[in-house]
Amino acid sequence: MADVATLRPAGRDPVLARPRAGSGVARKVRRNASAHGFLIGAVLCFAFFSWYPMVREIIMSFQRTSLGVTSWAGWANYRRIFHDPTFWQAWRNTLEFTILALIIGYAVPFFVAILLNELRHARGYLRVLVYLPVMLPPASALLLFAYFYDPAYGLFNSVLHTLHLPVSQWVQSPGTRWPTTAMISVVIAATWMNMGGATLIYLAALQNIPGELYEAAELDGAGLVRKVRHVTIPQTRLILSMLLMLQIVATMQMFVEAFILTNGGAGVNGNTLSVVNLIYQYAFALSGASNYNSASALGVVLMLVLAVFSGAYLWLSRERG
Amino acid sequence: MSRQLHRRAGCRAIAGSAAAALLAAAVACSSSGNSAAAPNSGGHVTISVDCAPPASSPQQHKEWNEDVALFEKANPNITVDSIYTSPCEVPATFTAMLRAGTEPSVFYTYFTDRNQVLDAGQAADITPYVNTRTVPMLHDIVPSAMAAVTAGSTIYGLPTSNYTQGLIINRKLFLQAGLNPDSPPTTWARVEADAKAITRLGHGIYGYGDYSAGNNGGWHFSSELDAMGGHMINSAGTSASFDTPQAAQILQALHTMRFVDHSMSPTQQLQWGALQKQMAAGKLGMYIAAPDDIYNVIVPQDGGNIGDYGMGPLPSATGTPAGSLSGGNDYMFAKRDTPAQIEAGIKWVVFESLTPGQGVYFNFARQKADGFPVGFPEPQLFDGATQATYTRLMDASATVNPSYYSAFSNARETPMGEPADAQAVYKTLDPVMLSVLTDPNANISQLLSAASSQVNQILANSGG
Amino acid sequence: MSAGRGSRPGGGRGAPARSRTLISDAQLNRARGRLVYRVVLTLVIVVFTLVFIGPLYFLFTDGLKSTQEAVQVPPTLVPHHVHPGTYLDAWRRVGVGRLLVNTLYYAFGALLFQLVFDVAAAYALSRLRPVLGNVIFAMMLATLMIPSTVLVVPQYITVSSLPVLHLNLIGTPEAIWLPSVANAFSIFLLKRFFDSIPGELLAAAAIDGASPLRTLRSVVLPVSRPIIGVVAIFGLVAVWKDFLWPLLVEYGYNPSRETLNVGIYEAAATTPQNLVIAASAMAAVPTLVFFLIFQRNILSGLTAGSLKG
Repeated sequence: MADVATLRPAGRDPVLARPRAGSGVARKVRRNASAHGFLIGAVLCFAFFSWYPMVREIIMSFQRTSLGVTSWAGWANYRRIFHDPTFWQAWRNTLEFTILALIIGYAVPFFVAILLNELRHARGYLRVLVYLPVMLPPASALLLFAYFYDPAYGLFNSVLHTLHLPVSQWVQSPGTRWPTTAMISVVIAATWMNMGGATLIYLAALQNIPGELYEAAELDGAGLVRKVRHVTIPQTRLILSMLLMLQIVATMQMFVEAFILTNGGAGVNGNTLSVVNLIYQYAFALSGASNYNSASALGVVLMLVLAVFSGAYLWLSRERG
Repeated sequence: MSRQLHRRAGCRAIAGSAAAALLAAAVACSSSGNSAAAPNSGGHVTISVDCAPPASSPQQHKEWNEDVALFEKANPNITVDSIYTSPCEVPATFTAMLRAGTEPSVFYTYFTDRNQVLDAGQAADITPYVNTRTVPMLHDIVPSAMAAVTAGSTIYGLPTSNYTQGLIINRKLFLQAGLNPDSPPTTWARVEADAKAITRLGHGIYGYGDYSAGNNGGWHFSSELDAMGGHMINSAGTSASFDTPQAAQILQALHTMRFVDHSMSPTQQLQWGALQKQMAAGKLGMYIAAPDDIYNVIVPQDGGNIGDYGMGPLPSATGTPAGSLSGGNDYMFAKRDTPAQIEAGIKWVVFESLTPGQGVYFNFARQKADGFPVGFPEPQLFDGATQATYTRLMDASATVNPSYYSAFSNARETPMGEPADAQAVYKTLDPVMLSVLTDPNANISQLLSAASSQVNQILANSGG
Repeated sequence: MSAGRGSRPGGGRGAPARSRTLISDAQLNRARGRLVYRVVLTLVIVVFTLVFIGPLYFLFTDGLKSTQEAVQVPPTLVPHHVHPGTYLDAWRRVGVGRLLVNTLYYAFGALLFQLVFDVAAAYALSRLRPVLGNVIFAMMLATLMIPSTVLVVPQYITVSSLPVLHLNLIGTPEAIWLPSVANAFSIFLLKRFFDSIPGELLAAAAIDGASPLRTLRSVVLPVSRPIIGVVAIFGLVAVWKDFLWPLLVEYGYNPSRETLNVGIYEAAATTPQNLVIAASAMAAVPTLVFFLIFQRNILSGLTAGSLKG
């Protein structure tokens, strides 16, 4: 991808220390010592708060703890979670959220970005506008949406009522057929809160498309739709696929949205229970029956699934750089 | 207090220096931050105590702080470090706190938490410190409350409240709807009829409300089942016993009120705090609670008018409740507490929460002076001479009309305790309540049998 | 028509001059094009304002209603009676001031730790190239694949008893500050920027006999301001928006240490609707103001940072 290299500042110059490094072992040791001195703070934080917990999670998932005594449990924790119907429900819901969030939260910003990119006026205003909700504390935005969604006195039902449309119970909808109204409601709030980021990244990518490509397409008689299909999408393919991976990873960790909108629960008929929420339930919310080991097993499963998508993302971004 | 500020400032100064030192400083600061409760030399002892009323309940907040000042003056070697919490316990973060061993030196628990606290190894054995000298009213505390904080013959805490539940009614709405507020409904059939009448008042007023989130749905369901003569868990504590026609009858009544009579609001998924707000705002006719909801929440926090409320017993099939869930709360002592901290903690709990005439809850004269309602049939914590003193002092300052509560008091509901693994069981029943209250097509028997097998699994796992 | 381009946002980083986009200027300049453009523009502005400002309008005005009006059916669009006192009540009752101070303390503390440790680490990895540096960097990048929400349980256990040191950080600000340092994305962005600093600049400093620390301070940092700004914004916003972690490590320890985000949620159940909304509005003000002041830097920094991520 040589043509993308222009985006990056030139980065291949010789290392500062290398030309001077040959002058002796003592100097090398000293240089290494000071370098590790610079690294130590971050490395310790990674060790304590990332690397060690990762290993610990895997270990804990094969253990059981009873009255303070820890012993090996083999696959018992995994068997337990696989036999728990809520495990499968949480995965179905998370998948549903991910798919809906992609349809709404991934495609919408792309077309919004295309639209914004065509405007010659008010661009600054509109860019600020789409990014405003991103800056809200999630609890503010979600409590506001919970208020809008309220089945008795919420704004949304009042609007539907005025338009003589049937009102809805929104996040409290009992229906379990896909896509559930409950989950769609969560996705709408989540998209409103978060779409600004994606939109701006798309916008930046669109601005990097060479104009000649459109001109060439027009000479071939391409209309609007064909230009989008044959120029815009291929030219932003990499950004699109990178964002796709990022979005999948982000949406599969969904927690706070459904948690706040459903008052800390799992929604009616478990409609909005997410995997991370289930980890929280297993680990803490069941009080005396809470179980860190089952929660860890669930965490390991989610970790593996996410690692696949994250790996794909890293691979794609490497191709880019 | 100033000691702590000082330490923080010191931390910041250290944090100015180089990178590796920064990490060391951070870690050092934090370790000192957590051991604030450790006793100092010179016999001075600091105890941290939670469940102090926060500023959102201004009078109780003020009274608590007065008490702390009074106590510290009388005991110059003790410092009470108040942790303001409302609600006093959120089960999930309480569990996290226990697992991390970061509970305050004197910490609030529900009666239902005893086994969890013991399993986590976080409760100090206070038996050697509890006697009639340190706890003068020890033998007057009702046995069921003492049993809740005792395992075998080891005492782990001091109970501070003990309740049964009933039906709180809005007398004003009852009158407006042409109902007799002196005779609250006692059967589910009458609850339904009265709720319908109240809902007809319009203006967003609903006749009945109930919880379905935050473990409160399952908690209420348990109480409602107790009143019908059922039990959540069999007597051996080994399996669920709520998949019964009685339970279905309760849920059916709720479902009917919500979807046939529309006498419950379409807004559900409520937890503790929500119904009190509706009651205070005059939008709700009836809901189930212990009397303290009125004097702790509806009136002081949500601004309800004390004269508007009354209480009856829990609704049942016959009109006479077979019993009520009886719960309560207590203070336990952290395992890491020093003997001096335990002694100081007991002294504080006795001073603040166990002596009629003293403390936020039992200083009736001050409550009255602060414009607080006095005279509720709760808590049912004492017997004997202490209860006599309690009643005498309360009656001397009573501001509420006892006849508004006589239907509840006269029913003398049998206290039934709470089920094994109560919070987990409640948590499992929340979704059942939620479905019944939000899904017009809820399949009650299926919900009950699914929850029943989940509870069985929880009981089986917690046994091992 | 060409004058309309004046409103193009200033990227500041010398983005390639925008030659043209999907639709050519020529097409827009035709009479029909101009009409369609006007209609679309108006529509976009109206719809976007409704969708993005609309909820914010209610966020700020619903808090002015009385408790009764806030739960009235149907809801009112404009408060019938304005009760500014609601904001005062919410401030007192929810303790918004305390929440704000807590959150600022956590966010800026985390920022400080992140800047010191992550800049130092990125500098070492980029310029000092110690033994095993690449392995360490790869291990840091690997954490990008495992987001921290997945690790919440073992992280919580670890923070409640740090291995080797046996310290319990629960309830201390360090429980938020230190884990925020383990941010591979920041280190990645910083390292890549440091990689791009011309070697001659650093070589000159080295010839003068400057120590690595002095080189970092007097040569690297001054030219790295833009990327440090980006990392700082990401760092601040991450702490500001976090929910589950502060719920467990701060609220769970002592509610007086909770963050804004957790605090207004926890208060919501027991607080009247109008106060909940007023508290939410006040909680939103600091970041909104921050954003409106620095929007140019934030937006360009955001796209610059992520485009290359």
